[in-house]
Amino acid sequence: MPHDPFAWAALAGAALSVPILIWYLVARPPLVRTTKLALLLGIGVFPILTAGSGNIAGYEATKTRRFCGSCHVMTPYAQDSEDLESTSLAARHSRNDAFGKENCYACHADYGMFGTITTKIGGLRHVYEYTFNFRQLSVAEALPRIHLLEPFTNDRCTRCHSTTVPGWRAVGDHASLVEELGRDAVSCLGNGCHGPAHPFSKPHLDEGEIEEVTR
Amino acid sequence: MRRLLRISAALSLVALALMVWSVLVPTPMPVMLAMSLGQLLGTSSFAMFGLAVLVDLRRSRRIRRDSMQLPSLKEVLLPPERIEPAEPAEPPR
Repeated sequence: MPHDPFAWAALAGAALSVPILIWYLVARPPLVRTTKLALLLGIGVFPILTAGSGNIAGYEATKTRRFCGSCHVMTPYAQDSEDLESTSLAARHSRNDAFGKENCYACHADYGMFGTITTKIGGLRHVYEYTFNFRQLSVAEALPRIHLLEPFTNDRCTRCHSTTVPGWRAVGDHASLVEELGRDAVSCLGNGCHGPAHPFSKPHLDEGEIEEVTR
Repeated sequence: MRRLLRISAALSLVALALMVWSVLVPTPMPVMLAMSLGQLLGTSSFAMFGLAVLVDLRRSRRIRRDSMQLPSLKEVLLPPERIEPAEPAEPPR
């Protein structure tokens, strides 16, 4: 059952609206003032409540690991995140209360003013890729082909991990690479630094390499 | 108008079903269907309801306007008043 109050509001709106609509369709009452008022509630007020709160609940649902892991090829990624024994970066972030069940979105969402919109457009691309390229594949077949479309930029890390606190600067590698990290010349997730984020992560591929891998 | 309202109610039911499905099973397919098809059906349904309200308002206004133009009951029931012919004017002397 949903724990989101918006989900409950959506369900409540639907629960109030459906009996009115069924009553109107089945009983076919005369169009007197009471019927018109009931229809205003059944077609107008309650469904608008359901649509509004349902959209927010739906949007919140798209941020959860359960949502991301519902495509079968993402199962290993979700399982690794939930594995308390795993020491991968994704698993460690999922144990952080600040991200918790939304750890996929917390790291993969775009940053900036229109970050949410570009993230959701990217999500539609994921749906397209899954439907037409990955749906028929087994997890073993899909894992080598799954790749990021764009390099993982460091600003997704530095939005939480400030590069200005003394503790961060005290690390020699951080202090010497601060400019390169700002320019994304060096990745936080590079091998030998904090990566790979997932046990199955692969280095970023160029367009040609992506076509070759997905062929 | 009744048919419009029935279609509107039926569309509302389908849209609500999609919304409830997406809330209870928040996986990509239900959520995407609710946010696209569900919204489209729900908006169409509400637009149809608005149209029905508009049609109803116009009809009731027309009925009210027509009733104001009708002759009153007194005018219909009572015989028309007899109008006395005017007396001929006296010729000038």
